[in-house]
Amino acid sequence: MEANEILAKAESLRNDLSTGFRDEIVKSLYTEAENIAKRAVKAATDKKYDLDQKIDRLVTSPYTGLPIMLLLLSFVIWLTVSGANVVSNGIAVVLFGIGDYGRALFDQIGMPWWITGFIWDGVYLSLAWVVSVMLPPMMIFFPAFTFLEDLGYLPRVAFNMDWLFKKTGAHGKQSLTMAMGFGCNAAGVIATRVIDSPRERLIAILTNNFVPCNGRFPTLIMLATVFVAASFPPALTSFIAAGTVVGVVLIGVLFTFLASWILSKTLLKGEASAFTLELPPYRRPNISRILYTSIIDRTIFVLWRAMQTAAPAGAIIWILANIHLGDSNLARMIADWLNPFGLLLGLDGVILLAYIIAIPANEIVVPTMMMVYMGAGMMINGPSGNSAIFDLLVNGNGWTMLTAINLMLFALLHNPCATTILTIYKETKSYKWATLSVVMTLGTAFLVTFLTASFARLMGWA
Amino acid sequence: MNMTVWLALTIVLIAAIFIPRMGFLAIYKTYRATRERELVEDALKHLLDREQHGRQASPESLAGTLNLQRGRITRLIEDMETQGLLESRGTNLHLTTQGERWALHVVRAHRLWERYLTDEARMPLGRIHGESERREHSLTEAQLNDLDAALGHPTRDPHGDPIPTREGTLLKTEGMPLTAWQSEDPVRIVHLEDEPALAFEQILAAGLRLGQTIRILDRNPQRILLTDGETEFRLAPAVAANVSVAPLPESEAAKANAIPLAELTYDQRAEIVVLDEAVQGFTRRRFLDLGLTPGTVVYPELQNFFGDPRAYRVRGTLIALRKDQAAQIWVKPV
Repeated sequence: MEANEILAKAESLRNDLSTGFRDEIVKSLYTEAENIAKRAVKAATDKKYDLDQKIDRLVTSPYTGLPIMLLLLSFVIWLTVSGANVVSNGIAVVLFGIGDYGRALFDQIGMPWWITGFIWDGVYLSLAWVVSVMLPPMMIFFPAFTFLEDLGYLPRVAFNMDWLFKKTGAHGKQSLTMAMGFGCNAAGVIATRVIDSPRERLIAILTNNFVPCNGRFPTLIMLATVFVAASFPPALTSFIAAGTVVGVVLIGVLFTFLASWILSKTLLKGEASAFTLELPPYRRPNISRILYTSIIDRTIFVLWRAMQTAAPAGAIIWILANIHLGDSNLARMIADWLNPFGLLLGLDGVILLAYIIAIPANEIVVPTMMMVYMGAGMMINGPSGNSAIFDLLVNGNGWTMLTAINLMLFALLHNPCATTILTIYKETKSYKWATLSVVMTLGTAFLVTFLTASFARLMGWA
Repeated sequence: MNMTVWLALTIVLIAAIFIPRMGFLAIYKTYRATRERELVEDALKHLLDREQHGRQASPESLAGTLNLQRGRITRLIEDMETQGLLESRGTNLHLTTQGERWALHVVRAHRLWERYLTDEARMPLGRIHGESERREHSLTEAQLNDLDAALGHPTRDPHGDPIPTREGTLLKTEGMPLTAWQSEDPVRIVHLEDEPALAFEQILAAGLRLGQTIRILDRNPQRILLTDGETEFRLAPAVAANVSVAPLPESEAAKANAIPLAELTYDQRAEIVVLDEAVQGFTRRRFLDLGLTPGTVVYPELQNFFGDPRAYRVRGTLIALRKDQAAQIWVKPV
C-alpha cells in the first residue's frame, strides 16, 4: 500500500476505536515485557529487599527521618565551607601569583599603565577571584550531593518533605532543587528538570534564589563572625556565628515557602498536579560516574558561565575605580550618589554599588566593597583580622549592627546573579520569567530591608 | 533653534502614528480588526447554539448574548450578511452553510482548547471556559488540526460536550438533565454545562465531576439529594438541570465494587481495576508509564509521617503518590 493510503485507512479506522485503547496498548506492552522477564530473569533471595525496607522505615519515620535529613544537610554544608577554605587559599595564591607575574612582565616590556591595569587588575583579577572562591566549594559540594543522589537517598527526602510543599502548591522534589541551590543557584535551576509538571517547575525555578548559595556563604559567615558573634564571649563565638548563619538560611527557607504559596495563588494558579515519585532501591554509588557528573556536568558548566560574565564585570570595576575626577574616583562618586537610597534600606551607597557591578557573581561583592571603602584601584581582600574589618566598617564608614543585619538579609533575598538569570532564561526560554525572577527577589529584598530599617529606627535602635 | 525642535518633534510624532505595522494607527487598526473578528465569531457561536437547541435566534437574543447596543448589532448583522455568513428571515436569523462551517470551527477551537488546558496545562476546571473564550479566536484551521492530533483526537471536551471533527460533523450531546431522570438506578454524569458560570461553580463546589457514578436518593422542589456511595450531594433543581446523566455503560460495572487506591490499608494487596475517567492526558500517560495498568497488583508499603504521600509497591518498584492521585485509581482487594 502507498503511504497515503495507509494514512487514509488509519484515519477512517480511528473513529471505531474505543476510548480506552491507549490503556490497552500499554497494558499489552507490559504483559509482553512481563512474560519476557519471567523467562529471562531469576529473582534472587529477598535479603536485599528486606534491608531496603528497613532503611526506608528508618529514613521516613517521624522520629529518625527528620533528624537524619538535617544532620546530613548540615554535614554536607560544613564539609563544603570548611574544606573549601583550605583549597581556596591555595588556588588564590597560585592564581594571584600568576597575576603578579603577568603585571611585572607587562611593565617590563613597557606597556602603558592602563593596559596593564585593565587586563591584569581588572579582567584577570575578576576571573581569578571567581575561580578561586567558586571552584573549591563546588568541587566538594557537588560530589557530596551527587553521592547522596546516587545512593538513592534524595528521593526519600522529597517523599518526607512533600506534605509541606503540597500545602504551598509546590512539588516535593523542590526540596532537592533547594538543596542543590546551596551549592549554586544556577545548578539548582537546572536541577528543576526533575520536576515534570511545568507549573511546579516554574515555582521551583523562581524561588530557588531564596536559598543562599556557596558564593553568599562567605559574606554571611564574615558578617556573623565580625558583628553578631563579636559581642559574645570568645568561647561561644563560633557557635553564635554558625547559629546566625543557620537562622539566615531558615529565613530563606521561610521566604521560599511564602513565595511559592503566593505564586501558586496568583500568577501560577492551578491545581497541585500529578505527583509521582519513584523511590529507587538503594545502590552502591558509582564513584567514577559521580565525579564525572558533578565535575563536568555541574562544576565546569556553571564555572564557565560565571567566567563569561565575570570578565566584563572585572573590566567595568577597574574602570570605575581608576577614572579619577578631582580627588575622588568614579566608583566613589556613584556610591555617594546612591547613598541616600542605601541609607533608607539600612545599607549604604557602597553596598548598593557593589551589588550592581558585581552582579555576575556574589563572590566578588565583598572584594568590590572593600575596594571602594579603602579607595583602592582594584578588588582587594580588606584588612586582615576581624577587629581590623570591624574598625574599617564601623569607625571608618559608619556601619552599625543594622547595616550588618540588613546586608545579611539583602545578600539572602536580592536578585539572582547574572549566571543564574541567564540559566533561568535558558531553562524557561522566556524573558518574562527571567525578568520576574529578578523583580520578585529584588522587590522582596528592598521591602524587607526597608521595613527592618524603619522598624529599628522607630524603636531607636539605630 | 526653537523651530528646529518643533519640526523634529512633529516629524517624530507623525512617524509614531503613521509608520506601517508599528505605528499607533497600525496597532489600532489591528486591534479593531481582531475585535471585529471576535464579535463575528461570538455571534456565529450564538446562532449555532440556538439552532442546535431548536430555538430561533433574533437580533434581540444576539444583543443580549454579546452585550451590545441595538445600533451596533444592526451594523454587525448587515456586515455578516454581506459576507454571506447569515440570512435574516423576518425577525429570525439563520446561518448559511458557510456561516455554519465557520461557527463549527470556532466551537472546535474552544473545546480543543478546553481539552488542552485540562489535560496538559492542568488548569482548574472552573477557569478553562474563560481562558478558552479568549483563545478560540486565534487559531487557523491547520493549527487546529495539529492541536487535535497532538491531543490524540479527543471526542469530547472536559464538560462532556462533543468536539466537532475536522470535516465539521458534530455528535449529539448524550444524556438527559438530572432533573428529568426518574429511576433510582445508578447513572453516570456525562455532561456538566459551564454556562452560567455561577451554576457551574456550584456543581464543582459540590464535588461532582464528569464520569462519576451517582444515584438519586431523594428529590423535592427545593433540592435534589444524590450520593456516589459515600458522600451525599445536595443541588438546587435549577443547578441540577445543568448536569446531564446517562445509564451506566458496561465497562462501568467493573468499577461497581472497587475502591480507590488511597483507601487501602497498610500492606493490603489489591489489583488495579481501572483508571478513573477524570484522569486524562499528562497524568494518565504518567500512570501508565509507571506500570499502573489494569490487572497490576499493588500494595501500600511506606507511609509518610503526615499520611500523605504514600509509597506503593508496583511491579517491584516503589512509587510515591499523593492521596488525590491515588484516589483516581480504582482497585479491588485480593
